[in-house]
Amino acid sequence: MTASKPATRSKNMAGPLLRGGEIAVAACEAIQEDNPEKQVVIEDHRTYVRVEAEGGLIIRRKTMEEILGRPFRMQELEVNLTGFSGQIETDENYMRWYLKLDL
Amino acid sequence: MALLDRSEWYDVARATNWTPRYVTETDLFPPDLSDPFGLPMTAWEAFDEPYKVSYREYVKVQREKDSNAYSVKAALSRSKYYDSADEGYLSLLKLHYGAVSLTEYQACQAQGRMSRFSKAPGMRNTATFGMMDEMRHTQLQLFFPHELLARDRQFDWAHEAAHTKNWAVLGGRHTMDDIMMTRDAITTSIMLSFAFETGLTNLQMVGLASDSEAMGDFTFSNMITSIQSDEARHAQLGTPSIEILIKNGKKAEAQKALDISFWRVWRLFAILTGIPMDYYIPLKNRHMSFKEFMHEWVIKQFARQLSDIGLEKPWYWDLFLDDIENHHHCQQGGIWSWRPTVWWNPPGAVGPKERAWLEQKYPGWNDSYGRYWDVITGNLLDGHEEKTHPNCIPVICNMCQIPVSNRPGPKWKARVYQLDYQGKRFNFCTPVCKWIFEQEPERYKDFETIVDRMFSGVIDPPTLPQVLIYMGIGVVSNGGRDGYDYSWVDGHRKQAAE
Ligand SMILES: [Fe+2]
Ligand SMILES: [Fe+2]
Ligand SMILES: [Zn+2]
Repeated sequence: MTASKPATRSKNMAGPLLRGGEIAVAACEAIQEDNPEKQVVIEDHRTYVRVEAEGGLIIRRKTMEEILGRPFRMQELEVNLTGFSGQIETDENYMRWYLKLDL
Repeated sequence: MALLDRSEWYDVARATNWTPRYVTETDLFPPDLSDPFGLPMTAWEAFDEPYKVSYREYVKVQREKDSNAYSVKAALSRSKYYDSADEGYLSLLKLHYGAVSLTEYQACQAQGRMSRFSKAPGMRNTATFGMMDEMRHTQLQLFFPHELLARDRQFDWAHEAAHTKNWAVLGGRHTMDDIMMTRDAITTSIMLSFAFETGLTNLQMVGLASDSEAMGDFTFSNMITSIQSDEARHAQLGTPSIEILIKNGKKAEAQKALDISFWRVWRLFAILTGIPMDYYIPLKNRHMSFKEFMHEWVIKQFARQLSDIGLEKPWYWDLFLDDIENHHHCQQGGIWSWRPTVWWNPPGAVGPKERAWLEQKYPGWNDSYGRYWDVITGNLLDGHEEKTHPNCIPVICNMCQIPVSNRPGPKWKARVYQLDYQGKRFNFCTPVCKWIFEQEPERYKDFETIVDRMFSGVIDPPTLPQVLIYMGIGVVSNGGRDGYDYSWVDGHRKQAAE
């Protein structure tokens, strides 16, 4: 995981906060893959990694399965999901963090 | 056999409302416990929890979380980490366990009440998982400090604090009773799930975890971030509640519940998280200042979430921003000065290097809080330890139960906000605590602060030794002393010699 910090952040950043672990590493990779049009910002704070992008992010079960090389239930992400910015939507095939309002 | 996807059966399985036939709806869901806002049943049936989980998934995931937390503890307990741990850091742990362990159990009861009394099937469902989560948090945080009892009796406060009348406990209990033990299901979902869990638990369970990881205490940081992964899920039951209230013309009511709870919990967390972060963690291990952390998690993240679900920032936002600069610095001074009354050993820890850091993070610190510590440091350098113990009784806020205090220095800002109600004078630390009281005086008026109890005959005789016994000091464990036995003064001694 590499840490990067933009000079300014918009008011519309949303995404997961992950604590370390196998699933978190895979999730960071999957998020990059599942949001090709977004500039994903990853900030490492030791016990948690803040992953965000303008308008939010999505992570797909299929991508996690490819990366982990095994069946994956979306709920497993919860083990490493210590929080998130924005709002959350959960589905068995994806998890999504978003904001309704564009400020 | 292939399992159905969760989304194919979830809505049907969750539709658990029914039409009562041999009791009235009001008997089944008394408004005081359920919904005092009077929304129809159908309005609550629209409740759609954003973070969904099935029972099968829940058990699998929680089992994994628990086995991880306990196995990390087991693996690391051989390392004897705590035998040589920093005293300031151990104080952080004692404060944490005393304040948090059984509060988790209160949260368990609050979740239990939401799972029984909410008219929203989705809330009942989420709160049922929440109740089991909070039971897990209680168990973890009673079990983990238990092994430390043998080396230090002050860890017994993990279990005992809630059963004492220590002044710090009274403050915590007054707040928690207010926001999660004595409210209806809907208000609890705003006060506990949204204001407290979504807004502020991150400070302690994630922010402080970064510092404890830097201290090498992986057992603790791993355990509390594991807990926070439960919070991230069950805290979400507040959002749909608020959205439904707004949609049904009850925005003002939702806003008021948020405003009350957010302030109350903030006043506690500034002490619980703010002081350890900026004073107890050794300088070299500090990650961010408390203020920086507040900016990342609350001022940016939580405030953004607030506007997204249709609420406003609390009316006292400017006072809150000012409190971030002051409240925990005041209370560090107060708690350190009254250290014999607490169950941990608060380090003064304001040597020259620490002061430089504080000045950098909180410009103006030296000229305000620094002056308070100048006097203390001077007394210690002169060998007058006895002069560092105050001989007066503080004024306690009739709402937050915390000593009234504010920024010292050239412009002394401390003042008390008073209200006369039914022939009694009430003192408040801020206009916000006073405003909360005014919203519902009958709820709060009979509670006696620790100082009231000295004058009303509850603590008899009202002498220092008796007060300490009343607060559990010398009963559960010894009270506090300076965490570093004043060694932080050495730097100043060297400076004075140069
Ligand atoms: Fe909890
Ligand atoms: Fe909780
Ligand atoms: Zn107050």
